[in-house]
Amino acid sequence: MNDALEIEDVWKKFPMRRDRPGFKEFLLNLPKFVNRNYNSNFWALKGVSFKVKQGECLGIIGKNGAGKSTLLSLILGTIYPTKGNIKVSQKITPLLELGAGFHPDLTGRENIIINGVLLGLTKDEVMERMEDIVAFSEIREFIDMPVRTYSSGMYLRLAFSVAINTDPELLLIDEILSVGDEAFQKKSKDALIGLIKEGVTTILASHNMAAIKDICNRVIWLDKGEIRAEGEPEKVVEEYLRCSG
Amino acid sequence: MVNDREYKRKKDLLFLLTKKEITLKYKRTVLGIFWSLLNPILLAIVLFIAFKVFMRIKMENYTFFFLSALFPWNWFSASVTMSTGTLIGNVNLIKKIRFPRHFLVLATILGQFVNFIFALPIIIGFSCFYGKGPGINWLITVPILIVIQFFVTTGICLVISIVNAYFRDMEHIIGVVVSMLFWMTPIIYPLDIVPEAYRIFLILNPLTYLITAWRDIFMSNAIDWGNIGISLGSSLIFLLFGILIFQRLGKRLDEVI
Repeated sequence: MNDALEIEDVWKKFPMRRDRPGFKEFLLNLPKFVNRNYNSNFWALKGVSFKVKQGECLGIIGKNGAGKSTLLSLILGTIYPTKGNIKVSQKITPLLELGAGFHPDLTGRENIIINGVLLGLTKDEVMERMEDIVAFSEIREFIDMPVRTYSSGMYLRLAFSVAINTDPELLLIDEILSVGDEAFQKKSKDALIGLIKEGVTTILASHNMAAIKDICNRVIWLDKGEIRAEGEPEKVVEEYLRCSG
Repeated sequence: MVNDREYKRKKDLLFLLTKKEITLKYKRTVLGIFWSLLNPILLAIVLFIAFKVFMRIKMENYTFFFLSALFPWNWFSASVTMSTGTLIGNVNLIKKIRFPRHFLVLATILGQFVNFIFALPIIIGFSCFYGKGPGINWLITVPILIVIQFFVTTGICLVISIVNAYFRDMEHIIGVVVSMLFWMTPIIYPLDIVPEAYRIFLILNPLTYLITAWRDIFMSNAIDWGNIGISLGSSLIFLLFGILIFQRLGKRLDEVI
């Protein structure tokens, strides 16, 4: 099996700026601002390395602020590492925030098209899949209404349906297994598991330990920007729960 | 094959983002896209009343004179003004989905370009009535000038959109600078009424040549390759500069928006 993803000693820092100063404050403290050390840094990731094979499902667990989302954004490529290398060899489909590209004033159908293209399809390919997407979302009656009129559940259903119908190769998922009501949650989980069985590489960050144990082949435990443990889902999750319990 | 598909996807994406820009502008309006045609007509009427009825400017064909420069200018100034919000208004998209970010800027400019296209019939009407009518020269020059203006606008908008993500002061600065530029470009007055001593400010403004080239072709079906050459040269410099800054500052965009 080839590697889908290779992460090599990745570091990421964020500048910890206080809220932007007012103009007066800025002038008074000018020497301080020029001095770069004034802005202290926060290291969100400190030397993380791992590999993911094609078709593998990797779980990422850790407390809030451990660096899970930063790691996913780095893999996606919307942010750049301060140090280190990230090699991705498959098409990434992000499920970081459902409906991130949706515009409230556009209709469901218009949003499907734009989102589908943003997630890596051509317009023709989206049109071919339109029927599947609408059918999966189960909100056919509302599909030509602006999404601002949707309930939050409908919104998430639609967003999820688009994402999984874009022929993902490498799925990045950030805590979105709780989509909609019970029935749809089950349906979306089944769909995800289906994709994973078909060989879609998946990286899943979640606090839902049951889901992690269910779906993943391997788990990484992130703690304060470092990998604290890695391996069998059962073992790592148990250790994590023991330490944070 | 793979590259073909990727190319097609990028084209679709740019088209859809532009379409979104236009659709959103007219969502929840009754007249919809007709506003793009109605706006320039109303503007023409207002300025006609102001300059010809109230101020009684004596220049021949004065309405045609300033409209031939005003419509291209509006494409430029509206794009520049809107580009301040292009990146910071799409935070979700930028943070959660990976796609070429400069497409957002291009879509803003193309969205405004559609307004310019809708203003062309008015120009053509004036040209048939007061000028020489659209001739073969139009077919040569208009596409060239569109490309040049697209380059220069893109260059400037790239810089403004990304700098505004770091310093929100930009949008306040831009408001003033755009209106200053309006008066530093011969739009509602000809270059030669400016006193010789101050003319240098207009001569140093690259937009002067572009706007003059537009007016030459619209009003007198004339091509001044000197003007066009200067416009093209300066537009390429702006474009290059814009791309460099955009790439440079784009690396740390996530930390500021």
